[in-house]
Amino acid sequence: MLFLEYFKLKGKQFLTLCYMIPLVFGGIMLSNGYLFTYGKRGFVTRFLIGHFPNLPADWFGGFGAVLFLMTFACTAHYMIFFRNAFKSIDFQTVEAARGLGASDFKILTKVVLPALKPILLTCIILLFQTGLMAMAAPLMVGGRRFETIGPLILTFTQRPASRMLAAVLSLFLGVFQLGLLFVIQRNERRGNYLSISKVKTTIEPTRIKQPLLNLGAHVVAYLFALINLLPLVVVVLFSFTDFKTISTRELHLNSFSLENYQRVLTDRSAYHPFLTSVVYAGLAAIAAVALMTIAARIIFKYRNRLTTVLEFLLYLPWILPGLMFALGLVLAYSRPRWIVFGHPLTGTLVIMLVAYIVVMLPNTFRFLKAAYFSVDTNLEDAAKNLGAKPIYSFVKIVLPIILPTILAMLALNFNGKLGDYDLSVFLYNPIAKPVGVVIRSNSNPEYGVDGIAINFVYSVILMVINALVLFFVYADGKTKIKQLFKKENKKSGE
Amino acid sequence: MITFKNIEIKYDDFVAVPNLSFAVNEGEFFTLLGPSGCGKTTTLRALAGFLKPTQGSIEIAGVDITAMPIDERQVGMVFQSYALFPTMSAYDNIAFGLKIAKKSKAEIDTRVLELAKMIDLTPEQLAKNVANLSGGQQQRVAIARALAKKPKILVMDEPLSNLDAKLRKSLRKEIKEFQKSFGITTVYVTHDQEEALMLSDRIAVFNKGQIEQIGRPQQIYNESATEFVCKFIGEANSLTAADLAKLGIEVSDASASDAFYVRPEKVSFSRTASAVNRIAGQIVGKEFYGMYGYYQIEIAGTKLISFQRESKAEQHRNGE
Ligand SMILES: Nc1ncnc2c1ncn2[C@@H]1O[C@H](COP(=O)(O)OP(=O)(O)OP(=O)(O)O)[C@@H](O)[C@H]1O
Ligand SMILES: [Mg+2]
Repeated sequence: MLFLEYFKLKGKQFLTLCYMIPLVFGGIMLSNGYLFTYGKRGFVTRFLIGHFPNLPADWFGGFGAVLFLMTFACTAHYMIFFRNAFKSIDFQTVEAARGLGASDFKILTKVVLPALKPILLTCIILLFQTGLMAMAAPLMVGGRRFETIGPLILTFTQRPASRMLAAVLSLFLGVFQLGLLFVIQRNERRGNYLSISKVKTTIEPTRIKQPLLNLGAHVVAYLFALINLLPLVVVVLFSFTDFKTISTRELHLNSFSLENYQRVLTDRSAYHPFLTSVVYAGLAAIAAVALMTIAARIIFKYRNRLTTVLEFLLYLPWILPGLMFALGLVLAYSRPRWIVFGHPLTGTLVIMLVAYIVVMLPNTFRFLKAAYFSVDTNLEDAAKNLGAKPIYSFVKIVLPIILPTILAMLALNFNGKLGDYDLSVFLYNPIAKPVGVVIRSNSNPEYGVDGIAINFVYSVILMVINALVLFFVYADGKTKIKQLFKKENKKSGE
Repeated sequence: MITFKNIEIKYDDFVAVPNLSFAVNEGEFFTLLGPSGCGKTTTLRALAGFLKPTQGSIEIAGVDITAMPIDERQVGMVFQSYALFPTMSAYDNIAFGLKIAKKSKAEIDTRVLELAKMIDLTPEQLAKNVANLSGGQQQRVAIARALAKKPKILVMDEPLSNLDAKLRKSLRKEIKEFQKSFGITTVYVTHDQEEALMLSDRIAVFNKGQIEQIGRPQQIYNESATEFVCKFIGEANSLTAADLAKLGIEVSDASASDAFYVRPEKVSFSRTASAVNRIAGQIVGKEFYGMYGYYQIEIAGTKLISFQRESKAEQHRNGE
């Protein structure tokens, strides 16, 4: 990211888009796409073997592959934070340093990096956590002999006899996370740079002066972009092909059809997981955002011991990794508890929804609270002065101001859980399998080509939904489209 | 019209205003003037109802409003940051209070247009989002919004402090004119003495939550009641009885610690003019301020400052 933002590279917009792909094509879909593209019988693998017969078929597997995949998948998610922090660097400091005769390298290490240190540290730790918890990538791309702690816990959890072992493992993880959280909090107290604001200040990218280095930088940047882009293209392409093409990986012009899409859209068993996920992710996103809009408001307005405790509780899911939390849910609610009116929850339809909501809470809370902080408190006083009751002024004045954040959180939450596998796999009910879980089981070779074809369609549709949501909510899609229409109207009017 | 009786206001344990009493007359432009942190905003917010005094009572037009809810007080407020609702148009901002009061559409429309005319906003500007208006226009919208419901009292908390010097001067005049034409009792807060002197019918000079002096601007300036008022309202030469004696001025019954203040513009000097009360001195410092010069003069071992208009005929230099 630093490389991409700091240096002047040709075609940066294209590169940035490529690096952002995992935002819409992430998690289990991404693993699935990589598998099909670079896996043992993958499209690219075949192509490469055709040219370099010595290449082992499982070249893209094991530690290296998981590392690569995770790097890309996670980068995209922290890109927004990082770019904002980067853009908020005062470019005048760079110019001042240059004016004092500092070399580009000096400027990078002495001016830019120190300014980014807090956000870098936070990102690194969060990434580290994500990596530690990862399920989909190691399971699917890692190969048979590749073991990480996440899938191990899953295996243990699935058998009641070894659940305690799973609990011990995740407890170990939890303690580790606590340590990391402590580091983050100390770090953030010195300067909190996490923000999803859309404000841009212009920092000029630096040109690499040595031609060879410059060329090298471009090659690396584009190679990574290509590796990232290929699975997406391949998935989109093959989603339109028949079973035969998919199994042979040989594309012909006449092998394209809409058959897979037709099946997904008409066959109940094929579209059902999809609906399940949309409903779960949608409900959870709405519930989490609604809850946090209220909670953040209360905590913001009334500072007392109770609200401090509440705030801490809301951050808890952040400390407890999703994995551990899921396991906790499974264990805790396998027996009736008073808090859920004496019904066992494990295995019910509700438990996954609850889990989705809970893991969404910390971030949602964080950003909404920041949004409330940015609202001038005089506004509410002014409304009161004009005779408005608190609820009226909240709805008419505060809410419209924080609406962009609300929508952004809805979108990010919805997208984040739409294709979820890592958490769902612990908690889903067989009658309502979310699409992430189905994609995973479909990618098992024993389900044959059929499953793979369906997976592609799932991936494409998920991707389109994700992209649309992001475009409309986050990239001001509505205004852009309006402007486009305005331009068109003007043109046709002339 | 407004009476503060022995008001005490606390923030938790911190006493921001210990014991405050004053009265504002009907139709008066009354200014609370004082340095930062002296309790001006606190006093204003108590009047508007955002703060409950811990002691004492506030009356408006003979009615005790100490415990009255904010929206029943009929006090319109203009905030320092304007606090215009950023997601609304200028029109909706002005109409906000009227809508809450459930006025009819036609009634609201008439009132808003009437106000818009007074504050010089065109219908196009009214339809704009307030963020797209200039600083001066925003300020006027804020005043119109506060006046929309025809409050009995208008309170303004440093409404000009967000603006640049030039705009501040022109809006100062406008505020004065609005106030006159509406004839509304106004309580105005500022820490800018020039603003206070120019705008007010009467000024209350605040210091540490207490009033040092209440009076007309001329009184405050020329007959300052305390050293604080004298120094806060403008520059002054501070002299002891001994200093005065050296200048040839005798004061009876003054002790050594008594101080006497002379405004710099009252100290004039000239090469030629022959008049009474003259004494020789030397210019030891000079700063150019445009319209006038700021001189430091040493007379008989005492340094005095003097503001004097620069005249072509007589130009003064350092050391003269
Ligand atoms: N919410 C609050 N909680 C605690 N103390 C406060 C609060 N608001 C103001 N104070 C304190 O009360 C005193 C008076 O504050 P106030 O805002 O009335 O001053 P002011 O005269 O309006 O100053 P300024 O010119 O800076 O606006 C100050 O010492 C301030 O620190
Ligand atoms: Mg104030």
